[in-house]
Amino acid sequence: MDMLLTEDQLALAETVRDYLAGTHGPEVLRRLDAEGNRDPAIWQGLVDMGLTGLLVPEAQGGLGMGLVDAALIAAECGRACLAEPLVDTAFVGVPWLLAQGKLDQLPDVAAGRVTLPLAHAINPWVADGEGVALKSVDPMRNLSASANDNADPHLLNLGALMSAAQLVGLADAMLHLAVEYAKIRTQFGQPIGAFQAIKHQLATCAVAIEFAKPVVWQAAQALQDRRASAAVHVSHAKVAATDAAMLTAETAIQVHGAMGYTYEVDLHFWMKRSWALSGAWGTRAFHLKRVDAAVLGGTLAIGPEHTFA
Amino acid sequence: MHLEYTPEQHAFRAEVRAWMEAHVPKEPLVTLECREGYDQHVEWERTLASGNWGMVTWPEAYGGRGLDLIEWLIFEEEYFRAGGPNRANQNGIFLLGPTIMEFGTEEQKKRFLTPMAKGEVIWAQAWSEPGAGSDMAAISSKAVRDGDHYVITGQKTWSSRAAFADWGFGMFRTDPDSKRHKGLTFILFDINSPGITRRPIRQLHGDTGFAELFFDEVRVPVENCLAGEGEGWNVAMATAGFERGLMLRSPGRFQATAKRLVDLYRKHEAEAAPAAREAVLQAWMSAQAYAYNTYAVAAKIMAGGKIGAEASLNKIFWSELDRSMHRTAMQLLGAHAELKRFDDGAVNQWLEGYIFSLSGPIYAGSNEVQRNITAERMLGLPRVGAG
Repeated sequence: MDMLLTEDQLALAETVRDYLAGTHGPEVLRRLDAEGNRDPAIWQGLVDMGLTGLLVPEAQGGLGMGLVDAALIAAECGRACLAEPLVDTAFVGVPWLLAQGKLDQLPDVAAGRVTLPLAHAINPWVADGEGVALKSVDPMRNLSASANDNADPHLLNLGALMSAAQLVGLADAMLHLAVEYAKIRTQFGQPIGAFQAIKHQLATCAVAIEFAKPVVWQAAQALQDRRASAAVHVSHAKVAATDAAMLTAETAIQVHGAMGYTYEVDLHFWMKRSWALSGAWGTRAFHLKRVDAAVLGGTLAIGPEHTFA
Repeated sequence: MHLEYTPEQHAFRAEVRAWMEAHVPKEPLVTLECREGYDQHVEWERTLASGNWGMVTWPEAYGGRGLDLIEWLIFEEEYFRAGGPNRANQNGIFLLGPTIMEFGTEEQKKRFLTPMAKGEVIWAQAWSEPGAGSDMAAISSKAVRDGDHYVITGQKTWSSRAAFADWGFGMFRTDPDSKRHKGLTFILFDINSPGITRRPIRQLHGDTGFAELFFDEVRVPVENCLAGEGEGWNVAMATAGFERGLMLRSPGRFQATAKRLVDLYRKHEAEAAPAAREAVLQAWMSAQAYAYNTYAVAAKIMAGGKIGAEASLNKIFWSELDRSMHRTAMQLLGAHAELKRFDDGAVNQWLEGYIFSLSGPIYAGSNEVQRNITAERMLGLPRVGAG
């Protein structure tokens, strides 16, 4: 029994974090927003880091890592508000293909030549697919209408898990933006971050984020192990991450005051992605109902001796 | 990350479960906050010690079993699964014990830890003073050096367990010219020493769990000082870290409450508000989140890491979770909630628990102070009043 994220896992996440901080900052989001939201050079950078092949087995030209590793990187993609469809393709699509034993496309995915648009009955759209374009509030999302008759539960769980992982990263980033703003914005002769009314709200966000993360990592391991209860843990993760991100989004805009309500302040990119992912791959209500069926419906053993049921 | 218990861990769980099932009192004990209940709980401490379960993580030389933190978590899970009573000696085993382990001399460890693990000496904390609550650096009780003794004069208040306990620990000002965090010394004292008067304080529930302690030229040997003279603040911060952090509130306690809440909801489902259903699910989710986080912190400590400002996040989380779970239970109980005993004579433990849960966000450093600590030390926001 060991809940530890290894040094290697944390180091990889940090490498990705540093890379994205250096190459995918707010100025890049503004440029993408103005000039078209996909950039082959950014995609190639992710491919060169091996991220498109993170979950692709070594035999197919990938790194053969697991869902916990992928969830940690997905959180970094959320933190950077990454526009490119890395998470859908490499962390949702790839393990879904793997689970079905479909290995043909994997070398092309790992090499970055192919992306995997994912249609699922839970979503009324497809991201980065073909079809009649739908406009998202998130300027970085390319959605299209689609007849989604695929109701595969494993695909849904993978999509929900990776949305949750991105949401905790998004929440982290929004908290950081609000904290940095509160340090420099001066009113009544002091930084507003010295006021307890501001501090306490931000601390409350920190609590929500801190306690959502282990739920997400635990769900990733449960899904990796294909535990019978994995769906419940994924749903728990999606609810916890959604709540943390939505709370942090609303707190962050409040801390920014009127500036937060402008398009000029970058916060809106992260906030809009949070709204989008909160509803994607199963709403809060959908996932809460799955928790309900397990906990009140009695299909999951609960109590102190069943921490990892 | 590897989320399977080893065969040894499964075997250990089975061992704890069998012992608890054989020994945990079938009827809940009378509340720890009165003489009768205190005596019952001390007797339970000694029963635990007879099975060598007093403090499983301590070295065998000090009355423990030398187990690691995962085994401690398993022990706690089984303890709360079995409905084990509150620990009369929690101030000792969970707070002072780890502090002595870190700062004590070999002689102090031998002298204090074993009787603590065996439930022979029950400890009270003596942090707060009338003028030093959330602002603990405002402590003014004095300890004046006189040869190989300190002479203590002053007053402590809200001292948990002090109404009945044997020994206490707290901080005293040893340098009369010092201010704030400096010049404080961490001292252990026998509450029955001449010159100490205890005045039990009646708490919200009507019983006397904590007390005021009045010190009138109380002579305490210098060897009862922990770490050096003037080192009190650093020692106390470590103790507070244990209090807010890992040890004081293990997840099993909240998972057990969440499970009881699920059962209560099923009983009252017909008349429950829609919001109560979600609150019950939230209780399970939060208790689980707290458990995962604790397993992660335990793994981090076992790998050589330390608990820092996240101890404050922990304290905010468990105290507000506990209050929220009991609030939900009170709502579900409706007109029965106010009854101290139900029609069948059973004690209304939800009412007792709700009242106790209201103290959670206040003790061990109020949650407002914890939010300040989180904001300043973790998020890096400027200190209150800073320009």
